[in-house]
Amino acid sequence: MSSPPQALFANRWLPVLLVTPLALLIVIFFYVPIFQAFYWSFFLERPFGGGSIFVGWANFARVLSDPQFWEAGKRTVIFMVIGSSLAVLVPLIPAVAADRQVRLSQPARNVLVWPKGVAGASIGVIFAFIFNPFVGILSPLNQWFPGIWAPGIDGTDAFIMLIAAHVWSGIPFNFVILLAGLQSLPRTMHQAAAMDGAGARRRIFDVQLPLIMPQVFLTPVLEFTESITSAFALVDTMTKGGLGGSTNLLVYKIYVDGFNGYDLSGAATQTAILMVFVVLLTGAQFALLGRRINYER
Amino acid sequence: MKMFTLAATTAALMAGAGAAQATDFEFWYGNTGSVETAILAQCDAFNAAQSQDKVACVGRGSYEVSMQKAIAAYRSDNAPVLIQFFDAGTLDLMLSDAVVPVQDILPDVDWANYIDGARAYYETSDGRLYSQPYNASTLLFYTNKTQLEEAGITETPKTREEIKAAAEKLKAAGHACPFVTDGDTRRVLEQFSARHGLPIASNHNGYDGLNAEYVLNTTFAVQHLTNLVEWRNEGLVRLGVDTKAGKYADAFNAGECAMMEGSSGSYAASAKAFEGKYQVTVGMAPMYEGYERHNTLVGGASIYVMKGHSDAEVAAAKAFLDFLRQPEQQMAFTAATGYVPVTKDVLGAIEASGEADAAKYATAAIGIESMNQPRTEDSRGVRLGFYVQFREVFMEETQKARNGEQTMQVALDNAKTRGDELLRRFEQTYQGVKLP
Repeated sequence: MSSPPQALFANRWLPVLLVTPLALLIVIFFYVPIFQAFYWSFFLERPFGGGSIFVGWANFARVLSDPQFWEAGKRTVIFMVIGSSLAVLVPLIPAVAADRQVRLSQPARNVLVWPKGVAGASIGVIFAFIFNPFVGILSPLNQWFPGIWAPGIDGTDAFIMLIAAHVWSGIPFNFVILLAGLQSLPRTMHQAAAMDGAGARRRIFDVQLPLIMPQVFLTPVLEFTESITSAFALVDTMTKGGLGGSTNLLVYKIYVDGFNGYDLSGAATQTAILMVFVVLLTGAQFALLGRRINYER
Repeated sequence: MKMFTLAATTAALMAGAGAAQATDFEFWYGNTGSVETAILAQCDAFNAAQSQDKVACVGRGSYEVSMQKAIAAYRSDNAPVLIQFFDAGTLDLMLSDAVVPVQDILPDVDWANYIDGARAYYETSDGRLYSQPYNASTLLFYTNKTQLEEAGITETPKTREEIKAAAEKLKAAGHACPFVTDGDTRRVLEQFSARHGLPIASNHNGYDGLNAEYVLNTTFAVQHLTNLVEWRNEGLVRLGVDTKAGKYADAFNAGECAMMEGSSGSYAASAKAFEGKYQVTVGMAPMYEGYERHNTLVGGASIYVMKGHSDAEVAAAKAFLDFLRQPEQQMAFTAATGYVPVTKDVLGAIEASGEADAAKYATAAIGIESMNQPRTEDSRGVRLGFYVQFREVFMEETQKARNGEQTMQVALDNAKTRGDELLRRFEQTYQGVKLP
């Protein structure tokens, strides 16, 4: 190539032009709504417009003193911690197995990626059927112990069902990331450890896991933020936040308040709070966890 | 190719010339399935019947989504001229300043033709209809006569007490699901309170002003809802989620459950599912003994005219509303959907057609009779702010009571507290706006 790489574009405006459509999309569909949400959170907004009343921090005061908001927030955090941990740990097992060239690891690598192609709402519908207390896979349990599995009646069961569906939908992505990390480890490390007398299990904990820490760190970061928003499709199709609100996560509550209840101000305020929470959470993850992980090899 | 273009252009020109004054306008609706088919048939019939105006009927998938999109569209000046809204959105629409009362733009129509039960829900305090009732339904009581007879019950239960006795007999005969419900707010609270003459909130359920407060935790509704929990624990009542079918009406239609309170619109599905297997009875929703029967509320949806359109579009929309009011249109719609006709002349027309006893009109007479029972100030309807959110609150709290987490009294006390907060915020949001 005759020209240096930084002069890849002959016209200096061409790159700007190429980026503009995407930047516009991000501004229109991300920054503008966010700004709108923060703006509305200081007003009492009528659904059809015409007459919004500035109320200062009153919306925040109300939301923050509303036990339902804290309940939903607590459930969101529980869902985030349990769901995300499992969504990383569960695929870690097949990833380690697939990396070890066990029988069927080749087809498994393919099959395990398939769920990535299934939309959250479809997963919800399918899992609602799988966990149906009368015809689903757990229905035999109900024949032995009547009433033990009732996701339509018992809030805890419904929550478990939600987490199971979430973990399942998280398997492919995390599996790919973790497997890629494992595959990038030099074979010589395994061989050296084996020569030192470390068995297969020992090597997992002393060699493989420490070396794929960047991936193990990355997946929960993505999972944590993902679980807060992606749970929406599952809740909407499986439980509608129901059973005494036991599956009403914050993201779903915002939707119901804003779109079904026409409470634009309340929904906007909760959106603003949730957004600040996610930003702080991600910041904290990078600040606290990131420092301890050695990216150098 | 050239020939084709030429022909197409000519055709387009001629079509344009044929309908020189053609006004296109949109009508948004929320129903799906057989109701949607019936709505589209009406749209096609309107377009076929005249060439002056052309309605484009747009399905939005559900009432909620339709309202969401209407709000967004109105805020960006893209709202349709006509839109169908559901019962619980009535107050939001009345205060929105986004709609014109139908009675104002169609002053010459004989609105008294609408039965009182349908009017009361949608009219202002001075008796002007805000919207044109469209697909109306009400709550009725269904039994599987065959199963009841097998259990030795020869008379269809008429009161709550008789239902309980019948349920006990069914249970003794080994029936797993004597009575099914879903605990939905409109069935177990709104329709129950209306026909027993009980208020849900002060100010006559909000009709007299925005400063209403919920009173549902102080009325006989508490006992009724407590009974439902107890009867469920005794195995007399099941919820939709307790059934194999998963939904209460499906469970009844499949013969899994013997009795239900359901929409008049359910009849067609039940009759079809029962064909050759069971006999179905349908009657007015049962009362507790010692209570005088009042009307049940009109459910379903009505059509609103939205502001911000040209005179030509509004004129076209008026023509469409006139078309929908025609008795033959209402009869066809009733026959196709099981909704209840809501004008007096249609009832006469059904009588005159000689098919009044046919299955397709089976719920019409009972539904209207139920909605036309003596009215009280508290049985006109529900006119409370953020009411859709309150329905969610009610469901959440009563579900907790059914799970045994709290008593029904505590659940309803909580519902009142949370509901009052919603009402106060609504009142504040609409400061200075007078309830029409």
